Amino acid sequence: MLILISILLLFVTALALLILRITQREFRFAWLTALSGTVLAWLVVLLWQTQLPLSFTFPSWQPASLFTASPGLSADGLAWPYAFSLVTLTVAILLTSSVREDFPNSYLWAVEIALCGIGLMAVTAVNPLTLALVWAALDLSELIAMLREAPDQRSSERAVIAFSTRAAGIILLLLANAVSAAAGKPLDFLSTPPQAGLLLLAAAGLRLGVLPLHLPYHSESSLRRGLGTMLRLVSSASSLILLARIPTASLESPVTPLLLILSAIAALYGGWMWMRAPDELTGRPFWMIGLASLAVASALFGDPTGTVGWGIALVLTGGALFLSSLQQIWLNRALWVGAWALSSLPFSLTAFGWQNNTSGWGFFLPVFLIAQAFIMTGYVRHAMRPSTRAPLSAQPVWAKMVYPAGIGLLLLIQFILGFVGWDGAFAIGTIPAGIAASLLTLGLLWATPRFAFLNPVRAHWVQPSVTPRLDQLYQNLWVLYRWLGRLTQSISNVLEGDGGIMWTLLFLIFFVLLITQRKP
Amino acid sequence: MSAPILWILLPILIGSFTLLLLRERTVAVIGGGTSLVLAGIALIVPIDEALRIGPLSLKIASSASILGRSFLLPPADAPLLVIIFGMCALWFFGAEAAGVALRLIPLGLIITALLVASIAVQPFLYAALLIELAVMAAVPLLSPSDQKPGRGVIRFLIYQTLAMPFLLFAGWLLAGVEASPGDLTLTIQSTSMLGLGFAFLLAIFPLYTWIPQLLEESSPYVVGFLLWLLPTIASIFGMSFLDRYAWLRTSPEVLAGLRGIGLLMLLSGGLWAAFQRKLERLMAYTAIAETGFILLALSLTTAGSLDLFFLLIIPRGLGLAVWALALSILKKENASLEFSSAQGLARAYPLASAALVFAVLSTAGFPLLAGFPPRLALWQGLAGASFGAAILFLIGLLGLLVGAVRMMAVLVMQKEETRWSLKENWIQRGMLGIGITGLFLLGIFPQIMRPFLENLPLMFQHLGR
Repeated sequence: MLILISILLLFVTALALLILRITQREFRFAWLTALSGTVLAWLVVLLWQTQLPLSFTFPSWQPASLFTASPGLSADGLAWPYAFSLVTLTVAILLTSSVREDFPNSYLWAVEIALCGIGLMAVTAVNPLTLALVWAALDLSELIAMLREAPDQRSSERAVIAFSTRAAGIILLLLANAVSAAAGKPLDFLSTPPQAGLLLLAAAGLRLGVLPLHLPYHSESSLRRGLGTMLRLVSSASSLILLARIPTASLESPVTPLLLILSAIAALYGGWMWMRAPDELTGRPFWMIGLASLAVASALFGDPTGTVGWGIALVLTGGALFLSSLQQIWLNRALWVGAWALSSLPFSLTAFGWQNNTSGWGFFLPVFLIAQAFIMTGYVRHAMRPSTRAPLSAQPVWAKMVYPAGIGLLLLIQFILGFVGWDGAFAIGTIPAGIAASLLTLGLLWATPRFAFLNPVRAHWVQPSVTPRLDQLYQNLWVLYRWLGRLTQSISNVLEGDGGIMWTLLFLIFFVLLITQRKP
Repeated sequence: MSAPILWILLPILIGSFTLLLLRERTVAVIGGGTSLVLAGIALIVPIDEALRIGPLSLKIASSASILGRSFLLPPADAPLLVIIFGMCALWFFGAEAAGVALRLIPLGLIITALLVASIAVQPFLYAALLIELAVMAAVPLLSPSDQKPGRGVIRFLIYQTLAMPFLLFAGWLLAGVEASPGDLTLTIQSTSMLGLGFAFLLAIFPLYTWIPQLLEESSPYVVGFLLWLLPTIASIFGMSFLDRYAWLRTSPEVLAGLRGIGLLMLLSGGLWAAFQRKLERLMAYTAIAETGFILLALSLTTAGSLDLFFLLIIPRGLGLAVWALALSILKKENASLEFSSAQGLARAYPLASAALVFAVLSTAGFPLLAGFPPRLALWQGLAGASFGAAILFLIGLLGLLVGAVRMMAVLVMQKEETRWSLKENWIQRGMLGIGITGLFLLGIFPQIMRPFLENLPLMFQHLGR
């Protein structure tokens, strides 16, 4: 019941904000209302700890003869850190909104809080059916938000393309369900058949932009800092949780090395681009691809706890960085906590990140460690570039207190989660991997001011024009599409034209001949 | 009072009366109200049982004789009447928003009554004649008297009329099969005739060319109403054959044929939907794919296949209603619905555009929307029976999804800096809002349809048990 209470608290707060915006435009306590509702939800999520594992089942889908599964929610040691990270992120977004130019904006807060509610449902989804429903809700919300904000035709197109990519992820999830049904089993997270396990991984990978490597959006700077961060991080968390739910046994397959290679490419590309991005908002898509690739690799190494570590680092560490829009020396120093969280060193969030529970594939690890070092270097670079930000001292007194609390909360929680609260806490982890990644990071930080190619350049993007092979593939697909289009058009013209009835009669003769050849 | 008089004769009389009225709103209220009341009576008042209200006792007899024919609407048919008239109420109330109330409601009530009569008539073979009468009544609906009938209307009439002799002939042959079950030649002939009859009636590939043509020529709302009602009743009529003849419902070849044709409908509908450049034609192909889903549900041999068939009916009706209404609104404001002319319409008509997108996504089985639960169950059932069929099913769904995405891209593609506005009027907003809410409600809580669907399989003596 606690799960439902926290989700309801968020949705009721969002609804209240919307109603207040419509009925009382001059209402002065909207921010306090938003913050109170979210803090209450944060406290309730914290309370989950006392009763884990928790579950809640919605009224079952009927008729039972057709639906073997019904939507439900459940929280365990892997779902809780995601849920807690998401609510913490929302609280932080509300606290830091005090310094934004568009403050107050109760509509934006309502959307952000509702997104958090949907995110909570995603990370606590008890089965693929629930996850598919929540993913769809998230995708539609994102589509509407993106279209509403779209300044031009190109942005609208990108929003639709991003939606269709995500929808393809949902289809893969449902295909896994069909594969499981063909094997005579209802699909759940406990007993996933091997073929379905790979499809689940592909579904999460596709939505995260890792398998295959793609970027749904060109640039993120146009999105508001709060809403953009919320949209992207909730969306990532909702996909990452699936990686933690796939049973290790179902991922042992001949295609596992191929998936590891693809993940490694995505991790290196994401990390490299993130490290060289001109600023953190421009680099945000690469941050997500880089860390999501590491999470996918963890899943392929048979380490669900590791995937959660990378996932919550993506939300909490990324959240702290993306919400930091003002300069304050102590806050800048505090952001180093994020570097530690990403380091895989003992008692960090990602300490469990490189646990290899499979019989092989360890030789892939160095590639991922290089990618991890790129990501850490990029993080430190973006965190330590205060000159591009306005000073906090220019803000009103109350904002000067509230804003650091938002950033500090995210940093504090990632520090605490390294020690307590979930299955991967207080872990020694793989010390050599952590040390290697940290040393590489230090090396890169030393080298950055000394070598031009490591320095930020104007970001370029994954586009068909810069990847000739991909370009060729897309062109071939487009030719096929147009050919099929012409074919269907020709058939339609024939059947709907003057001779259409004759053609139809001819078909009928074939139909009758076909039937009469067979016994009933 | 008897059930056939209440649910057949009364709608015909009220429909005829509304032909005389001139105000859209009055006709919409009368038509929608009548349908709602008839649905309510079917829901509340039991057939063939005395209902005591104080000193009064009310009993609706199940049968009546009209023009020498017996019409029987047993208690098991009551849930179907609730669904049919309930959905008609939705269509008729929406007719005002679509601006076609004066045309749709009078003839719509008559067509509905005739199709209900086709379910009730004994012997059941006479249903073919009543369906033909309904088809003829649809002609003035599709082509107003001041307009020359288009190619689509003529083809619709030809193909639907061709169904009747095949079905009657099949019925005559089937009587022979019953008398001599060992006669293989007769069995094959009767199966062929039956197959041809239903191929015409259900507009099986490639006999559906009239659907896109009709949607281009006539009001999308009117055509949508027919595309919802005719295949639903024709399918129930087809199920009567399966129910009556044991060899037909147990024949693996017949079931395989149904599956093959269902997949063909879904694949061709999906594939063609993916390449359309007109919003009306896209609707046509999604409606064609919907018929494929119905046939696929019937082809499953599992215990729940009948449940699945009925589970498809309400989302299908609602999806088509939302589609048709949104399309009518856009067509009224924008003469051409070619993709090139429809660019950026979402900025001016966000609700109608959203309704179009949600309706086609629902047909494609997108989660959260009404079409999702039945498609999920159907996909699982197919995967259990044949994994190859499940993959083809996926391809069909992908085609529909591509169609939806292309349409969405066109609708949101504003040519220049255009601000969002809301040009739909209040009635249109209300009806579209109800429709969209319904699509989401049925997608998230499909169990709310259960009270209406639970006893529907009992309509069939053998299939439902």
